[in-house]
Amino acid sequence: MVFINIKVIQDYGPVILSGIGNTLILTFGGFGMGLVFGALLAFAQCFGRGIVRRVATAIEESLRSIPLLVLMLLIFFGLPELGISLSPVQSAILAIGLRSMAYQSQILRSAISAIPYGQVEAALSLGMTKAQLFSTLIAPQAFRIALPGLVNQFTIDLKDTSIAYAIGVSELFTQSIHVAQVTLNYLTPLLFVGSIYFVMTFSTSTIANYLYRKFSIPGLGEASHG
Amino acid sequence: MDEVLRVENLWKSYGETSVLRGVSFEVKRGEVKVIMGPSGAGKSTLLRCINLLVKPDRGRILLEGREIYPKPYDAIHRIRQRIGFVFQSFNLFLHMTVLDNVRVGLVKVKKLSKEEATKIAIEALRMVGIGPELWNKYPAQLSGGQQQRVAIARAIAMNPSIMLMDEPTSALDPELVGEVLNVIRDLAARRMTMVIVTHEIDFAIDVADEILVIDDGKIVERGKPQEIISNPKHPRTRRFLERLKRRVDHGLR
Ligand SMILES: Nc1ncnc2c1ncn2[C@@H]1O[C@H](COP(=O)(O)OP(=O)(O)O)[C@@H](O)[C@H]1O
Ligand SMILES: [Mg+2]
Repeated sequence: MVFINIKVIQDYGPVILSGIGNTLILTFGGFGMGLVFGALLAFAQCFGRGIVRRVATAIEESLRSIPLLVLMLLIFFGLPELGISLSPVQSAILAIGLRSMAYQSQILRSAISAIPYGQVEAALSLGMTKAQLFSTLIAPQAFRIALPGLVNQFTIDLKDTSIAYAIGVSELFTQSIHVAQVTLNYLTPLLFVGSIYFVMTFSTSTIANYLYRKFSIPGLGEASHG
Repeated sequence: MDEVLRVENLWKSYGETSVLRGVSFEVKRGEVKVIMGPSGAGKSTLLRCINLLVKPDRGRILLEGREIYPKPYDAIHRIRQRIGFVFQSFNLFLHMTVLDNVRVGLVKVKKLSKEEATKIAIEALRMVGIGPELWNKYPAQLSGGQQQRVAIARAIAMNPSIMLMDEPTSALDPELVGEVLNVIRDLAARRMTMVIVTHEIDFAIDVADEILVIDDGKIVERGKPQEIISNPKHPRTRRFLERLKRRVDHGLR
């Protein structure tokens, strides 16, 4: 029994790898969008009042409850019916970004609420304004506390770029399926693409662990990761 | 004489619980007031009302002759610069070094240059006996006594008109209490105006110009330390002091 067909990899490996550009564009585009808007959403939920806070919570909850595939198809096939047409890559970034935003806002929100209130009182008693309090205490500490969660979300976004297969973005997974259909061999291209995802995810967490150690401060969001 | 703080008929309740019930006192420049009283008496709430971390229900507070409650003469964040606060649990900024903890208020709030801020911060750190070997450490790397001394330095670096201290040694291991009390004694000797909540009787007798005993949201007794300690008039004060003295006799704090 031969599980891996080396010839398939030799002949079609480059075809699969050609999808890596799109995979990275979707990952960084989606995650980046998620970080910027997730931070705004978390800010609105932690410091907003009344309607602002409720709208932010509603956005977060609904986006967390819709499967990514449904969201992506809604954007790609649904929006044109409302007169908004986006390319497959744009649609995929938007879908991954919206979902990532919802999760990142949750991660940042719990990081903000993990800051001991005594430090907030100490900052206020020095005479800091709300803005000074935010930039000198809340943002730097919340970011450190949130870092492991954000990195985890990054790897989830990375893996979920494969869902863009459904709307025809030629990223890694789509390419591997094309190869499988041409060669009538599924095992080899899927194992190959799986190992590429593994390498990318693994190196992300390795780099992240290095960053945790580099930026770790004794007694603060201690990075007890392996 | 020059009056730094005046509290008039201060009331505060949380829902049904009435925590402060008509507290009045005044603090003159260079004076040290010690507040004592059982847990839950409203001591912390009183201090927090004075620097407006807690909003009183009614009454009046004046800082250096100017009203800060109910009608603050200036923005509350600017008024708070004038009032130093030392917390029971230190509350140092965990992501900053010792030096940055003391400098941050000077740079961000007072807008001093980094060089000026560093100079003042170092002076404040020396005053509380924190040497250069600790300036680049993070709070979690210090003992409780060192952390509290840094917290005191952070407050005095701002050059406040008055310092409020809420049980500054209650969270410390017994062997670390002394170093912090000595720093506060030092401040008293330099005529720093202070209101200190503490259970340390000997220290209170040492530094207090007047002791206020609070129970159930009211000042039940006030006077010179010796009078209060040796001859408490109020029965609850007597019982409270006896409990404290017994703890001291047994070597507990
Ligand atoms: N934020 C708050 N919400 C509700 N009750 C409070 C709050 N802060 C203090 N209290 C209550 O007020 C009373 C006095 O508290 P506190 O001022 O901390 O007393 P002390 O410092 O003398 O021990 C206590 O019964 C406490 O439970
Ligand atoms: Mg208290």
